[in-house]
Formats: sequence, C-alpha cells, structure tokens
Amino acid sequence: MIADLQNLLAEATAELSTARDQGQIEAARVKYLGKKGALSLVLRGMGKLAAEERPKVGELVNTVKSGLERLLEDAQRDVSRQSLLAELQKPKLDVTLPGRTARRGHRHPVSQALDDLVEIFARLGFHTATGPEIEWDLYNFEKLGMPADHPARDMQDTFYLDMERAPLPPPGSPPTEGAQRGLLLRTHTSPVQARTMLGQWPPVRIIAPGKVYRCDSDITHTPMFHQIECLHVEAGLTMAHLRGTLDAFMKAFFGPSTKTRLRPSYFPFTEPSAEVDVSHPACGGKGCRICKFTGWLEVLGAGMVNPDVLAACGYDPERDTGYAFGTGIDRLAMLRHGVDDLRLLFENDVRFLEQL
Amino acid sequence: MKASLKWLRELAPGSLTDEQIIDGLTAVGLEVEGREKRTLGPGAAQIVAARVVSREPIEGSDHLSICKVDDGQGVHQVVCGAENYQAGDVVPMARVGAVLPDGKAITKAKLRGVESEGMLCSARELGLGDDHSGLLQLPKDSQIGQPVEELLGLPDLIIEVNVTPNRPDALSHVGIAREVTALSRGALRLPAGAPREEGTATSALARVDLEDAAGCPRYVARIVEHCRIGPSPLWVQERLAGCGIRPISNAVDATNLVLLEIGQPLHAFDLDKLAGARIVVRRAKQGELLVTLDGKERALHEDDLVICDAERPVALAGVMGGLTSEVTEGTTRILVESAVFAPASVRRTSKRHGLRSEASHRFERGVDERATELAADRCAKLIAELCSGTVRPGRIDRYPAPKPLARIWVRPARVSGILGTPVAAAEIDERLASLGLVPVGGDAERRQWEAPPWRGDLTREIDCVEEIARTRGYDTIPIDIPKAGVGETAARSVESSATAAARSALSARGYDEVLNYSFCAEKDLLALTPSSSGVAKTLPLRVANPLTVEQGAMRTSLLAGLLRNAHHNLARGSDDLRLYELGRAYLPRANELHPAGPLAWPVDEPRRLAMLALGRRTMRHWSLGKAADEPLDFFELKGALEDLLESVGAKAATFAPAEAAAAPWLHPAAACAVFLGGKLVGALGQLHPEVAAHFELPAATMAAELDWEPLVAAALPVRKLHGVPRFPAVGRDLAFVVDESVPAERMLAEIQAADDKGLLESVLLFDQYKGAPVPAGKKSLAYALRLRAEGRTLTDADADGLCAAIVQRVRSALGADQRA
Repeated sequence: MIADLQNLLAEATAELSTARDQGQIEAARVKYLGKKGALSLVLRGMGKLAAEERPKVGELVNTVKSGLERLLEDAQRDVSRQSLLAELQKPKLDVTLPGRTARRGHRHPVSQALDDLVEIFARLGFHTATGPEIEWDLYNFEKLGMPADHPARDMQDTFYLDMERAPLPPPGSPPTEGAQRGLLLRTHTSPVQARTMLGQWPPVRIIAPGKVYRCDSDITHTPMFHQIECLHVEAGLTMAHLRGTLDAFMKAFFGPSTKTRLRPSYFPFTEPSAEVDVSHPACGGKGCRICKFTGWLEVLGAGMVNPDVLAACGYDPERDTGYAFGTGIDRLAMLRHGVDDLRLLFENDVRFLEQL
Repeated sequence: MKASLKWLRELAPGSLTDEQIIDGLTAVGLEVEGREKRTLGPGAAQIVAARVVSREPIEGSDHLSICKVDDGQGVHQVVCGAENYQAGDVVPMARVGAVLPDGKAITKAKLRGVESEGMLCSARELGLGDDHSGLLQLPKDSQIGQPVEELLGLPDLIIEVNVTPNRPDALSHVGIAREVTALSRGALRLPAGAPREEGTATSALARVDLEDAAGCPRYVARIVEHCRIGPSPLWVQERLAGCGIRPISNAVDATNLVLLEIGQPLHAFDLDKLAGARIVVRRAKQGELLVTLDGKERALHEDDLVICDAERPVALAGVMGGLTSEVTEGTTRILVESAVFAPASVRRTSKRHGLRSEASHRFERGVDERATELAADRCAKLIAELCSGTVRPGRIDRYPAPKPLARIWVRPARVSGILGTPVAAAEIDERLASLGLVPVGGDAERRQWEAPPWRGDLTREIDCVEEIARTRGYDTIPIDIPKAGVGETAARSVESSATAAARSALSARGYDEVLNYSFCAEKDLLALTPSSSGVAKTLPLRVANPLTVEQGAMRTSLLAGLLRNAHHNLARGSDDLRLYELGRAYLPRANELHPAGPLAWPVDEPRRLAMLALGRRTMRHWSLGKAADEPLDFFELKGALEDLLESVGAKAATFAPAEAAAAPWLHPAAACAVFLGGKLVGALGQLHPEVAAHFELPAATMAAELDWEPLVAAALPVRKLHGVPRFPAVGRDLAFVVDESVPAERMLAEIQAADDKGLLESVLLFDQYKGAPVPAGKKSLAYALRLRAEGRTLTDADADGLCAAIVQRVRSALGADQRA
C-alpha cells in the first residue's frame, strides 16, 4: 500500500509533465484526486490496515495528496503561461487603419472672432448692448452729429427700406417724413451708442457688436458686414484711456507683441478723432505686400465722444467725457486668419468653413 | 484731392523733403493715400520738342507717313502712324537713344522698308495720361530741341490726399500748403491777385441780383474782355492733368487752376450769351429746364438754386454750368463768377440730379466766404494772361450779410484733461497761432481765439483741442487703462452661456456654422410658402435701393439662405452637409420685445436658429462598408436638435406633428412642431417637395427653424446636482401592439401617467417593428423600463403592480395590447 502511494506520485509527475492544456490537467485532477480517483481508491483500503500502521499510512496519504495538489498547481501555472504566450503571439491588428471619428462642426470665423471680442471686452469691464439693424435715420445719423444734408453721410452709402411694407411705427417713435427718409439698414453700430445713452446715465461702458450694411460690393467690401462698437462715458476719461483700452484690446486679439498707432482723422460723432493702425500681424510689422510695405494696417476708427453727441443724449459734456471706437469684425477675422478676399466669408462654402 | 508737390513748394517754400512733407501731412490728419511720379523717365533729356518739316504718306500703307522732323540738332526722317498733325506742328520726338517712360528704347528702325530715326509721341507714350488719339501737340512757339519735360514743368510728384469732410479748406493747394507751413514753421506765399485793369467799369457792363441770399451768401463777378480762346500753355495743362482735371480751353483752365490753387470753385460765362448782361440768383421755377455742360437736359426742381440771366436759368448754382452760356471758341467777353452757395442746398441739388463736380464737392463742405474776391481777381488776371484779354475795373460784389468769424474760448486745463497729458498754455498759444487763429482776449485760465475764415470747422473748444492734439502728434498721448468700477465687471449672461452651449452641441454633431446676408431674393422667401400648402404668403420688407434683386428683400426666414448654401455646396461636390445659422429674421410687424416709446425698435427682428442636414447618416468608414451610404433621415436632425436642447438645459421641449400654417415649407408627412412650455417655437422636418424643387435640392433634405429667445428663456442658468441612488433598480421590458397612427409621444405619456407612485425612473423605447406577425396597420413598440423606489429596495410585487397598471392604462387609453 505504501508502495502504491509512492507510485501514484511518480506516475502523476510523469503524466503532468506532458500536460499541454486545461483538459489534460482536469483529467489528471479527476484521475488522482477525484471521488473515484486513485487516491480515494487507496484510502478505501485503509480499513484493512492494522491499527498501528494507520497513522503512518495516513501521514503518507497526506504527503502524497499535497504532492499531487502541488503538481497540479504547477502544471496549471505552466499551462496558463503557455496560453498567455500563445495569446501574445496572435497576429497583429493593423493599427494604422483610421479610427472611428465623429465629424466635428466648425464655427464661422466671423462669429468666432465676435465671441472672442465679447470675451476680451468683458474682461475689460464692458457690457454687451444690442440694437435694431433696421433703424431710424434719427439714431443712425442725426443723434450722431450727421443731420440731413451733412456731407459725412457720403462716407457711408446707405440702404433704405421701402416704406410700403413697413409696419406702422410704434407710438412715440421718431418721425419718418421729410428729409429723414424713413427706415434704413444701420450703416454702423453707433446708433446703439445713442440708444444706450438716451436710456441710461453715466457711467456707460458698453460694446455693441452686430451686423451693419452699406451699398458697396467688391473684394474689400461686402454689402453686409460686422462691426463692434465700444463706448465708455464717465467723468475724468481722457484720450490716454482710449489709447490704453485700444492697446489692451489689440494685444489680446492679435498677440502680446502687437503695436498700435493713432493718426488724426474725422468722424462726426467723435472729436478728436483717430484712425488706428495695428502692426501687421502677418508680417510682424516688418512690411509686406498686403500692408504696402508699411508694416501697419488701418483697422479701426476711434475718438473722444463729441460733446454735441453727449449733449444730444442729455449728458453734461463738462462733467462726463468719453471715448468710443468701432471696427470691422470681418476684417479682424481675416487678418487673424490671413485671408484676403472678404467675399469668401459669405459664400459659406464648407471647404472654406471646415478649415477653422 | 490730388496735389502737386512742386506747386505746394511754390506756395510754402522751405527745406522739407518730399518724404517729410508726405509723412507730416499724414501725421496731422491729411492722409497721403497714394503718390504718382510725373516724369518722362530717366531718358527724358532725349525727348524733345521737334518741328514737323514735311509729311508724306508711305506708298502701300493706309496710315504710316514719312516725316522730316527738325529736333534742333538737324533734320531727321521719322515714320509715324498718327493722323492729327501736319507740317509746321511742334510735337514731342524721342531721339534715337532715348528711353520712353515704359522702358521702350528708341533705335534706328526700318518700317515698310523706310528708315526711321526716332519716334513722335502721344501723351500716353510719354506716361502723361491715357490720351493715345494722336501726337501730343506742343505750342508752336516752343523752343525746338528743348526737352519736353522742361516744357511741361516736370518732374513732379503728385500726392493723393484723403481730405475728410470737415476740412474743405484742404481741398486746395493753398490749404494744404498752410498745413505744410505749420509743419515747417515757414510762411505762406499767397499767389498774386490784383490784375491790371482798364476801360469801362465792371458795374456798367453787367448786373447781379441776389434774390436768395440764404442759398447764396456772396456773389462776386469780374469781367474780362477781348479774350482769344484757345488751348492753354503746356504748364497749365500739365498742372490740371496732374491733378486729375482735363484741360479744356485757356479760359476754363484758368478757372480750374484757381479752383485747385485756392479752393474756390469758379465759373466762366460768355457774357454775350447772358441775356440782358444780367445774373440773377434764385430758386428754379416749376417747369424750368436747363441743359447742363454734360449735354443733358434737366427738369429743374423748385428747391434747385439756379443762376439765371434776364430770361432763363443758365447754370445749376454750385454744381454745373449750362450749355447756352458756355465759353466757346468764339467767346470774347467773359464774366467770371466767384460765389459761395449754401452747402445743404448744393448737396440736395447735386443728389437730385445725380451730378457731382469738383465745385459741388467743395460747396457741400463749405468754402471760405472771404476768399471769393482773391479768387475772382486771381482768375481774371490769369484769363487776361492766357487769353490776352483786358480785365475791366472793379468787382460786382453782392455780400449782404458777412458772417462773423467764430470766437472760441480755450482753457489749457480742459485741453490737458481731454488729452490725458499736461499741455502748457504757451504751447497751446503757439500751435493755435501757427494754424491762423488769432488771440482776442482772456487770461491765464482761458483765452479767446478768433478762427481764420477758411476754417469753418473751428467753432468750439473741442475743435481747438483736436487741432492741438493733431499738430503735436497722437503719439504724445500716454497709455492709461481705465479703472474697473464696482459692478462693472460683466458676468456671463444666461443668453451667452446658452448660446455657447448650443454652439458646442451643434459642433459636436458635425454642424458647420454659416453666415448669410440679411437680405435675399424675395422669390426665395416666397417659395418657402408653397402654393399647395394653402398658407397665405407673408410679404417681406424690401430694400429700396438694393445692389441686386437677389438682395432685395429682408429675410423673414433664415432658411432661404441656408437652402441656397446647400445648393451652392452640392454644386461644388460637397454632398454631406450639416449647416446651421444663428441670426435675425426681419418681420414686417411691430416689435413686441421692445415696445413703444422713443427707443422702440422699428420692426420685429427675432433671433432664430436654422439647421439643415442632407447626405449620409454617418461618415464613411472602412468598418461600415455600404452601411455608411445609408442616407440620413428626419431623426438625424431631430436628434441633433434634442442634443442641443439638452445641452442648453431646455428640458421642457415637446414635439408634435406640425400644421401647415406652422411650417408650410415642410413636407406634410414629415413635419414636426417644437413646443416650449406649450408655446410653438419652431419646426423641423423634411422639405416640402415644392421647396426642394425651387432650391434644386434632393427630396431628403432636412431642415429646422426655431425662435431663439424662447429657447434662451427656457435655458437653465445653473443645474442642480443630486446624489446617486443607494437602492438597486429593477428592469422590466414591455412590448405593445398598437395602431400605427398612435404617436410614440402619446404612448410615452400614458406609460408615465400610469406611474402614480413615482417608481418609473426611465423609459427607453428600444424597438419599433412593423410587419408579420404584427397585423397590418399596427406596430409593435418595445420599452425597457427601469424602476426604483426611494429609500428602500423595490420588491417584485411593486414592479409587477406597476407593469400591470401600465398595460391596463395603454390598453384603455390607446387600445394597445401587450405583446407576449
């Protein structure tokens, strides 16, 4: 019996050393350790043994049993390792095949620029104000120092509205007869200035972004474009504040190395007035074909709010001063992205839009 | 305004270089926008005045001639193709060895076998303009052999100055020269005025009646007799041509030369053609006609200011002269008009007749009332010189109410306060004086100044502040950032965060943003209401003066633009399109958001969101094969919209079949209305076949349009967060067979209504099936329910109870049977 037990161990060692898969290990486990397995068979013969032999044999049985278990465990580990090695040898996936992407939509460069501008000015403390695009002559021209027959009206070719289909003006609204030719498409965002100042007392600190319209169409003009207007009225404001705000704005939009330069100009609603040049972002101010080798590009009109405009809105120009400026968002967007045909912006060709 | 630097230097002598003048003018607000060199080029010395000695046609050629030409060094044989000359004429000749301004070198050549030693030139060949109709004719008394460049008074540099509307004084060489003297601190050398006079007094030769002094504050007339009309000398022609004015005749050229010099528009009348030798300035009468110098007959308006003789209008005051009183070859007696007309009146007349001239441009902006005498004198003197005429003594001068010069108080403290930097009183004094302002009183705190007559734009202190700022240079203004005040830091509005969230949702779904013009073709807008829909069309607002008919109507819907974009892109090979636009529509009705009062918005301009989808349902991918070619359907667009609503937080949105009136542009079989809080806010679906046909788009084009404000109003500014459930959920699947016509949303509503204990956590429709074994006319809808109780573990009995309640409710409400 003792010999049987010892043979069992040797036999199992030989058998498991050739085991290659899980099935063989399971078969061996049943064969040696199962209910009807070899070890049970030996144990069943225990009853026939003399009482004094039993402990000795019992001890041997335990040794053999744990030996068998260890053998099975080792074999199991070997087989797992083998199958892992086999798994790792599987044919390689073609990882260069394209992944499964979702098509991303794209912002329009002008609306993206508009959002960026609103963000920049929010950080500088400006609220966003809005106004109608179909506007009274009163707010588009008159309140801004351009009465009927003022030559400055020539600076902006105006689209007028056919009054035949216009609704009745709301009670209390400005007159539409006579020299004021009724309703027009606002030629600039400046009427929002007038509306804001007529509706509140200083301090006023607003931006007014939006669509504006002029009868003009060529490579650098579209009949509709976008402007952003900035107005700050408060006691003690000076032209230095205008320069500072412009400088901060341009640096935030075009990058920290951007320079700005003011040149005297004329707008009816500001005085002193200035054209503002920015160092050409594309050539870094070194000069190139687009900036006519000057290194500068004219991007903005600015000035101190004309005291007459303040007075027309009921403010006291002796106490409150202000600065204002306006610029074309489309042009800023194009400068930023290095595009030079404005009309591309409104063709809405997805091959253009997809690039942003 | 084009100005000659050579001319400017005559008026403002000094040592400034061309570049210093150009940069200096730009720096003080007279922006030099362009420049043009007037020169015959580096080879100019060999382009000389030559006399044609003889001209013979070449045999066998229909236009070439053989000429013998004397260039002062000898007689040469030259072949020439021009027609406008004969023996005895003096013309420019480029000698052999000369180089023309365009770089063409002149060599000995043979034309039609005939030797040619040089070339006779037209104005264009000399780079002097566009005239190529024949040879440039030089005066017969020119010195033969003298370089043409010298004869013309060249070389010169012409600068193009952008004169802003507030500075009419700078629309002249004298005006620009004043700025140059302010830069150089030099003195202005005004042109000589006073002519030599003789004979009968002007006042005895003509009469001027000013009937409308408001329209014409001043009228000065001068008379020159015994004139001989002919071409001007070359230097005069070159001055005019260089500044963009076509030379006409010596008398007319004299008026234009003075216009360019002093800025005062002048007109020369043939005195013999003025009936009664009279000038009457008045408004036109109903029915009066005038043929202007451009040959057009114009019906005058009662508001038009006109110059008349004793009988009829002879000129449109300040805009253009009339043909009948024009100076012509036979004219001998000239009346020179030097007048001032009211800006607004000239502007109205100019606009009304669509007629703009150098004169109207200046009158509209305002001319110096006190420069009219000088201009009249100067012009009479020039005419006398150029036409060998005699200036008659004295002027007729009608000037009933001389305008006083503006007096302006200027406070140094205010100047410093506006500019943001201290400016000393002495500096202010010096700068204002250099611009021609004269101090008339005041003290250390403030000083009163009298504005010079040519600067009508200077009337207020702020005007002087601007003068000081621009002459000292804007780069002297420091940089300062305004302080942020309490409460001024703008918080992000619900609107802007909702808009940003919507945009990212749309981007994530692959929608590209477009921006269209606010105006479009009216027919496109009307096409959005197909006639078969039975809905009345809304007529859009119209632009009175559109650039094209395609931009004639204000959009009442964003769809017209979006559908045009789709067509444009399809035509260019982009056939998977997801587009959206966020912008305003313009409706011909009162604006409810901004009601009555002086600040009312004239019309309703609601913000809208429009979307469009067409093409494949998914992107093509190697793993999908043909499955990717499946066209997208209604649910692609609806899903994108649902994603958007979810991202904005507008959870209360519901969908229902749309009536035609809500969205006539949709196919009645695939039209869905969107409601927020029970209010209709828009629609989506497949395009109506007539709409698709109008825009030439595929039938399976999906589109949506929604009002934006209600969506923002329904947006959640801040989302409340909750913990996660602690007790397990129970899942149950239920399937029903129901009439095909029952909307899914009804089923969902009934299922949810059966849950009276609040156990139903979510309902997911995971399958819709039609076809056997489901009977015809019916559909099977299968739902995965997730049930959960708050505060305890749900029992099977709870779940069974709810399922039974649901089954019973959908049966009684909708006739739906549970599917085994």
